[in-house]
Amino acid sequence: MRLSGYGRIIVAAAALCLLPAAVPAQEFSQIRRTGNAPPKPSGVTPRTADGHPDLTGLWNGLGDNLLGVPNQIANNGLSIESESATHDLHSGSSIATFARNTNRPLNNEQSERAASLLRRVGSNRPVYKPEYWEMVKNLDENANEEDPSNNCMPAGIPRAGIPSYIGQTPTYFIFIYPGQGGLIATQTMYRMIPIDGRKHTPLQELDGTYTGEAIARWEGDTLVVDTWGFNSNTWFDQIGGYFHSENMHVIERFHRDGNTLTWTARVEDPDVLLEPWTTTPRVQLLNPRPDAMLPESLPCSERDLGHIVTKEHH
Amino acid sequence: MTRFRISSALFTVLLFGLALAGPVSAHHSVQAQFDIHKTVSISGTVAKVEWINPHSYLTVNVKDADGKVQKWAFELGGANSLRRAGMSRADRGGLKPGDQVTVTALAAKDGSNGGFLQELKIADGRVYKFTTDANGQ
Repeated sequence: MRLSGYGRIIVAAAALCLLPAAVPAQEFSQIRRTGNAPPKPSGVTPRTADGHPDLTGLWNGLGDNLLGVPNQIANNGLSIESESATHDLHSGSSIATFARNTNRPLNNEQSERAASLLRRVGSNRPVYKPEYWEMVKNLDENANEEDPSNNCMPAGIPRAGIPSYIGQTPTYFIFIYPGQGGLIATQTMYRMIPIDGRKHTPLQELDGTYTGEAIARWEGDTLVVDTWGFNSNTWFDQIGGYFHSENMHVIERFHRDGNTLTWTARVEDPDVLLEPWTTTPRVQLLNPRPDAMLPESLPCSERDLGHIVTKEHH
Repeated sequence: MTRFRISSALFTVLLFGLALAGPVSAHHSVQAQFDIHKTVSISGTVAKVEWINPHSYLTVNVKDADGKVQKWAFELGGANSLRRAGMSRADRGGLKPGDQVTVTALAAKDGSNGGFLQELKIADGRVYKFTTDANGQ
């Protein structure tokens, strides 16, 4: 299928909405979202034989990238309702933003800076102990080099957000997070998470890893994933320089309502944070195509950092 | 014969601001690495085409004035920008090593042999134009 002119714009928009599902973009050419407000649930919540909600499925119906790769605006909790209206989900306040005309090419310098500013105005931020403020600031200023996910390393938890695929069995879950390009540079992560009543390994016996040691349990209809045993090589977001220690403890909650999945993560890291930090809830949509598959994600190879001449970052 | 042509050009990377992440095009700021007001054009043969994250790459072997082959690495937004440009296998059977091409790109600010691919002309005269979406894909 060859397209030209406006047709290509539509396809580009549709492809953005659907990544990384293996769905021909042309079939969704009518979809063109200009906001990221949480989707409303519809349909019933399927249940497994043991009575729990069935979370199995491809959770990329909005496109992982449309909510800002899995880590951009989302961690600050910004909801963009239209080309000129945005509000902060955490505080509820409206945010003055530049009007964004989505129908024409934009000036690169202005648009990059406007997008970067937008990413920084969310009010839901981790609060660090004073002795780490200078370090956070320096990491943020040098994010091109310092951000691990600007250099093809795994996004880690909680930055990775909602997995693109969840597979559920009575005794374990499989989470798959495809590698991402474009705005960030990450490699694929997967997690195999037991839900068989086992307890954590003592923290001091674990070597730190990118996804840590996760165990799951049900609290009513909410899946709770409890993880520790991390390394200190991941950030909470693309901006801010928000690092963490090896003693970080993350509690994620997944709740399915019909065709939506809501996720939050509570981060406890008393080594560096003044108080626990909870992400603004994110809502992802089930892929509408029952035959959609998760394609192989591309390998990641970063080749730009040696050629970058300014500290601009987004 | 290698040709180098530097000219100011209209900025042609179409950044479709889906509002969300904003009309940003790369895991790094485009203007932190490339001069958005200056293009470079070269001719050579394809060394390799890589559909990878965070950006796809087209590497071209270019003979310099002394006849020595230099590698030029041209960055693309991502695999989707290749597909949109019509570079998929279904569209044209792919681009293979050895093909003669002429490339126009935003110039690298550090003067290195590379750029941000804007336009690709192949031996039979067809021209492919590259755009980047709001997520640099």
